[in-house]
Amino acid sequence: MEKNKQTNPATKKKVDASGLTKKERRALKVQEKGKQNPENKKDDKKEVPKAQPPKNTEKPVVTTNQLSEKELRKLEWEKKLAEQKAESGDKKEALSKAELRAKRREQQEAQRSAKTNVTTTKQKEQKEEKKPQKKAAEVKKTPVTKKPEKKKHLVRRLEFVNHLYSDATFGNTIVNFKNVHPAFVKLGVQYSSKRILGSNARCRALLTAVKVLIKDIQTPPKQEFCRYFETVLQSCMEHLNRCRCSAVSMNNALTNFKTELRRLSKSEEPDNQKKENLLEVIDTYIDHQMDRAGEAISMKVNEKINNGDVVLTYGCSSLIKKILSDAHSKGKQFQVIVVDGRPFLEGRQMLQRLVQIGINCSYVQMNALCYVMSLVTKVLLGAHALLTNGYVMSRIGTAQVALVAQAYNKPVLVCCETYKFSEQVLTDSFVYNELDDSEKLICVDTLEESSPLALCRNNDNLHILNMLYDVTPPDLITAVVTELAILPCTSAPVVLRLKPQAF
Amino acid sequence: MPQNANLSDVITLISDIKHGKVFSSYEIALRTENLLEKVISEEKWANAKELMQQIKGKIQQVTQSLPLETTATNIMRHILKVIREECDQVSKKKGEGQSLHQLVTADQSEERDYSESHGDLKNCLLDHLTEYKVELETSTENIAAQALEHIHTKEIILTVGKSNTVEKFLKHAAGQRSFQVIVVEAGPLYHGHKMAASLALSGIQTTVIPDSGVFAMMSRVNKVIIGTHSVMADGGLRAASGVHGVALAAKHYSVPVMVLAHMYKLTPSYVCSHEKDTFKMCASPANIIPYSTGPLLNKINVYNPIFDYVPPELVTLFISHQGGNAPSYVYRLLSELYHPDDYELY
Repeated sequence: MEKNKQTNPATKKKVDASGLTKKERRALKVQEKGKQNPENKKDDKKEVPKAQPPKNTEKPVVTTNQLSEKELRKLEWEKKLAEQKAESGDKKEALSKAELRAKRREQQEAQRSAKTNVTTTKQKEQKEEKKPQKKAAEVKKTPVTKKPEKKKHLVRRLEFVNHLYSDATFGNTIVNFKNVHPAFVKLGVQYSSKRILGSNARCRALLTAVKVLIKDIQTPPKQEFCRYFETVLQSCMEHLNRCRCSAVSMNNALTNFKTELRRLSKSEEPDNQKKENLLEVIDTYIDHQMDRAGEAISMKVNEKINNGDVVLTYGCSSLIKKILSDAHSKGKQFQVIVVDGRPFLEGRQMLQRLVQIGINCSYVQMNALCYVMSLVTKVLLGAHALLTNGYVMSRIGTAQVALVAQAYNKPVLVCCETYKFSEQVLTDSFVYNELDDSEKLICVDTLEESSPLALCRNNDNLHILNMLYDVTPPDLITAVVTELAILPCTSAPVVLRLKPQAF
Repeated sequence: MPQNANLSDVITLISDIKHGKVFSSYEIALRTENLLEKVISEEKWANAKELMQQIKGKIQQVTQSLPLETTATNIMRHILKVIREECDQVSKKKGEGQSLHQLVTADQSEERDYSESHGDLKNCLLDHLTEYKVELETSTENIAAQALEHIHTKEIILTVGKSNTVEKFLKHAAGQRSFQVIVVEAGPLYHGHKMAASLALSGIQTTVIPDSGVFAMMSRVNKVIIGTHSVMADGGLRAASGVHGVALAAKHYSVPVMVLAHMYKLTPSYVCSHEKDTFKMCASPANIIPYSTGPLLNKINVYNPIFDYVPPELVTLFISHQGGNAPSYVYRLLSELYHPDDYELY
């Protein structure tokens, strides 16, 4: 022991309070146990050579008690390592041999324990035997199990939105999806990384992917085309839903498509003809529900924009962009104030577009809303969906804009195509929403120093809530402009009733 | 009048405020108080009138350079009131008391002559000032001590940006009650991040939301507790920009809005119009959109207002070190703090 104390500073090993290294402590323990249980050593001797047929080539025959205990512990350690690596699934075949050995050992021990049910003394011995093994194993267990805990990314959840948390990294994992068309895999990645934003854009992208699927699909023999197509589409859509929740527009488009598909399944045409029909269905849907509806809405709003108007808009909506550019090209003189909200800062894209066209623009953030609202003459907002009870679901912050506009008595017009009308009913923004990565709120691009939240993001008491949508009550909105008419918000269910069954 | 020497320390204070060396209103209050002590103890003045003239001169200096910096001017106005009171007391002792008969028969245009010299005035004023200083230093603790009267268990409290008073208030209550705090980021400087970090580190359940999430979250909030820059004479607030939006959302959901304000934040001026130019103070637009956006910046206007006016209908309660008051009572608090003749000194 004194020798070890002298060598400790040179070797720089971790030394306990009593001046022993880990190895020495273990050796001491083993010696103590050896003195306490002389019978167990005999059993160990018997078991160890049985349990290690492959290892005999590597090491000499077991004679001393210490070595047998060491071997057992080493086996336990390898077992634990093998189990741990099987869980994390990182390394593929480095320890397969150890795994096999461990499995064999477990099987043998299980058989042995079944055989020794007869004598109680032998059971007691085994229990005592297992205890020192466990103790030795536990000493090693704690450093092993800490690693997988650190590897897991623990997302602390805010209680009342607990149901909204999802595995955000699903879309980014590179896994071979057997049943999913590569176009949908690509789409899934684009959705989950938020490269495609906006309900119109997402719907168009989805329908384009469906078209690719139609062109590529090859029905296997003995299966009917439409039914097979439905199953394939189903698996693709499940994949997309796991990457990111479907938008209302996407769901409506798909419902329409599926109705057409079912209608086609009753006809007797050959597959190629069916494919042609389906492609046409999609094209007409995009044309009627998005393009022409956009034109109609633009014409209606154009009549309402006068010279000298100051129009306020929030975030980025493709429809509002279209409306404002059409109005500008018809020669109307108006100004636009773009209000932006974190963390997406979509307003900057809107700003780029409008400035390119040549419209006189101003840019503010949410805090300056009350400051500019007195200048504004109208507010134009886009929508993600219109709900049956008249509430408007849109990008988070829209409700705040509508509220301030109403407080200053400015008209609020929400522009929404009818295909975005939904049968859902919501009264608040928590029951159905999407949560985005909280890291995006921590990074601020306009500040030089990093946010103090970056330092305590792992604090248990801190939650960062990054919701994507909010729900605006109808009393804050003056009117909804659709391609059918300019309606009050509460007429949404009327539109749903009037439109043909699956618009 | 040897004004040059007198105004040098005021000028130092003004420049410190402008350059951001003295930032929080508490620090400004302490500096002003020190300044006043110097004036009273070291400067030459023969009677109350001369002293008041000097202080009024300083108020004018500050108002000209920093029209929106009300803490310093409020404290000076309060001292003017104290001086007047002292004179009144002394003259009462001499027998010129204001009996009801005299109040009724007195000529309204008669100005109180403060040009009598009193030997004790200096010492009395210095005593008052030390009292006032103690009051200032303990006001934050006094406000924080009232926290338990306003927060119950499992409440969800919303606050905007960073305010030292609100922070101490919440930390004091968290020692004995468990509740959650939602902190609004408050762009464009995002002081809410610092507030949230500080609260989370002291063990309070904190959630950070962006400005756009206020309306969505407000339906689940029980109370809104905010600080302010100053309180206007009608009970409205001059607060950091964005607070008006929060107050409107709170009104929509009938959530009470409590404002923690020290007495030196009460300003005897009104907001005359709701046009956007009322507060006329904007900060650099680089905090709104970075310069790296490029040539786009030549073609757009960017606004970055510092203050927001919140009308008194949206405020439920003012909490000061003396207790809570409704916004409709602010006029009375003003009359206790300042003399009507000192309201406008431009």
